[in-house]
Amino acid sequence: MSRIVVSGIGVVSPYGAGVKAFWEGLAAGSCAIRPISLIDTEGFRARIAAEVPADVMAGLGVSPRRARADRIGLAAAREALADAGLGPAERAEAALVIGAVGGGMLEGESWYWEETRTGRPSPRIKALRSILPYTHAETLSWRLGIRGPKETVVMACASGSASLALAADLIRDGVVPLALAGGVDAFTRICFMGFNALKLLDPEPCRPFDRDRRGMSIGEAAAFLVLEDAEHCRARGGSVHAELLGAGISTDAHHVTSPHPEGEGMMRAMTLALADAGIDAGAVDYVNAHGTGTLQNDRTEALALARVFGAGRVPMSSTKSLVGHTMAAAGSVEAAATVLALRHGLIPPTANLSTVDPEIPFDCVPITARPAPLEIALSNSFGFGGQNVSLIFRR
Amino acid sequence: MSPPRRVVVTGVGMVSAAGAGSSAAVARALGRGEPFIRPVAAFDTAGLPCHLAGEVDDAALEPLIDRDAARRMSRISRLAVAACRLAVDEARVDGGPTLGLVVGTEFGDFRSSGEFATGYLKRGPSGLSPMLFPGTVMNAMGAAVAITIGVKGPTVTVNQASVAGDLAVARGVALVARGQAEAVLAGGVDELCEPVYRRFADELGVLSPMRGRDGRRAGAEGSRPYAAEHNGPVLGEGATFLVLEDHEVARARGATVLAELVGARWGNVPVAPHTAPVSRADSHSAVRASLAAAGVPTASLTACWGAGSGDPALDDWELALLRADLPGRPDLVPPRALAGVFGRHAGVGAIRVAAAALAAGAGPTLAHGLARGGCRTALVLASPVRR
Repeated sequence: MSRIVVSGIGVVSPYGAGVKAFWEGLAAGSCAIRPISLIDTEGFRARIAAEVPADVMAGLGVSPRRARADRIGLAAAREALADAGLGPAERAEAALVIGAVGGGMLEGESWYWEETRTGRPSPRIKALRSILPYTHAETLSWRLGIRGPKETVVMACASGSASLALAADLIRDGVVPLALAGGVDAFTRICFMGFNALKLLDPEPCRPFDRDRRGMSIGEAAAFLVLEDAEHCRARGGSVHAELLGAGISTDAHHVTSPHPEGEGMMRAMTLALADAGIDAGAVDYVNAHGTGTLQNDRTEALALARVFGAGRVPMSSTKSLVGHTMAAAGSVEAAATVLALRHGLIPPTANLSTVDPEIPFDCVPITARPAPLEIALSNSFGFGGQNVSLIFRR
Repeated sequence: MSPPRRVVVTGVGMVSAAGAGSSAAVARALGRGEPFIRPVAAFDTAGLPCHLAGEVDDAALEPLIDRDAARRMSRISRLAVAACRLAVDEARVDGGPTLGLVVGTEFGDFRSSGEFATGYLKRGPSGLSPMLFPGTVMNAMGAAVAITIGVKGPTVTVNQASVAGDLAVARGVALVARGQAEAVLAGGVDELCEPVYRRFADELGVLSPMRGRDGRRAGAEGSRPYAAEHNGPVLGEGATFLVLEDHEVARARGATVLAELVGARWGNVPVAPHTAPVSRADSHSAVRASLAAAGVPTASLTACWGAGSGDPALDDWELALLRADLPGRPDLVPPRALAGVFGRHAGVGAIRVAAAALAAGAGPTLAHGLARGGCRTALVLASPVRR
């Protein structure tokens, strides 16, 4: 079976543009969750999020006429391809798999808001052309010269990690030698209002695993990884960040918004990933948890982790406490964080965590990043619809 | 690497303007030789330049979904669940960890997104419905199917214009071939939604009779794929799903096999979003890759179904690409088109594959898809002879 390596990474996050800014923010344990500037939040319970700052957006080098999500997606994808050192010929051979949910909805909402409130047709209707998630893939493949298979995967908050798992399959099947894969999601009103309506947002920056946690915080980001057949990467003289050892995808088939109460689907995703990687649970040194900060998710994830790894047997942390829950991008943002943690031998912390929930029997690496000799790490992503994806990386 | 598993079709479920049923219903609808496109009944089209669509009669759904469950589902989820129920019943497969699902859709549950947003615009934060919010995420239909049928293997939703159903089937083939599921429900679903129809018909002008480059509409309304007088697509709605199954598993349990999927590839011609420039060649053709993977020479193909929807630029581009990929087979180009029969929606892609499966007994068949923006699919089906 082909070995799959990560040969390029690109991230646009609330810390700024680029992997360097992303890792420095994670390593410093700096929480990027702030009052929302993009929309009017009057009357909502939670009014904070981790936005990509305006000056960062302006400096991305992507036309402001494009949808916000396309702008951060293009910038992150370009960084990943440059990091991998891929020229036009190699890009042409690549597959493109994008995890997306919101598409260009932020701009579509602006049109709809204006037309509904004024009762007159609005010229902003052109925003509808970019509203659907698949337009990210059209934009990126066109601008980046990618001629391999392209696919837009919508698996709620597991979209980004699913894109990586499905791209790896295309390489393993010999369809392509390499793939650009990852997730992108910009802030949208519908997402913010929906999670507010479900009362799943914490009015304060989220505190995953904390006894007093009150929900999650929304973020926005794009993160892409170049996945490559190891032999192809070696032959072209590419450098390797890490190896994608295995992936597992499962479905709860239980409830649209709530995870299975016993974490049955989560356990199966992790177990499948371990089997795919050909390793025992004991070989995993760190888990980048889904860790949203909601009462239900954190407790259920801990239950599933305890059943797979044994209570307290592996340190885990939630980078969502630092950059918010970046929705469709979360899985690839956290995959990037996991790969960087392996490279640097440093576990990013769980911010805002003061008292660990007694029902979460794990070392959740509170507040401060921790040096550790990391060889293998697992990243979890779960989403609405009972979607579960686990990825395992080796240094 | 262990050899990929052979993938066969063991069930079909279709809910469309032609009614609801399994593979026999698809065969009957195709055999009728007439379109199921009618004047829109669900909403008033007065004042619009378009009035036609391929609509589903909701009465066809009632015997297929439990009434209590139906009340908790959006209409588009009911369409998907009904089609999947028909497909698994025909295939006689059960839910569980070895059953996967791939849902292709272009618009998703747009109706829920609109209603959710309207609630806020009318009444502020108190007008937001937590019940509607999950439907704003495109995997909502997949979630409804997974819960109803008990799909616990991989559940994937793919979003794509025009060829979402074909793409879902191709991804489903990959999941079964890799052994990630013994069987996968794969297909497409879209719903006719008044706000989308109105914008497409009127302000965006992308339905028949669509605006030409001079900004004017010409010709009568109607879906006429590949015809000289084609002037835009007509929207349809519905869901069609296939049960794709590991050949060995299907054989061991004595399942009836409709056809084998011997090639399934998707590709991309990188062009500007939403465009269909005829001049662009496809150096990485999914058709050639799929035929090569299947070991099927072009000369052996007995039939071809295409994505033709009546969109002039897209139709012409597809014909140009197929002529390049199928040299010496002018009899297959133009291919057969189904969007003119059912109306354009994501489920038509899966009907294309089902049609190719039903015809595969006479020899290898090709189901081809092409969307504006360059997404391309190619599925090759053949009779499941022992290899």
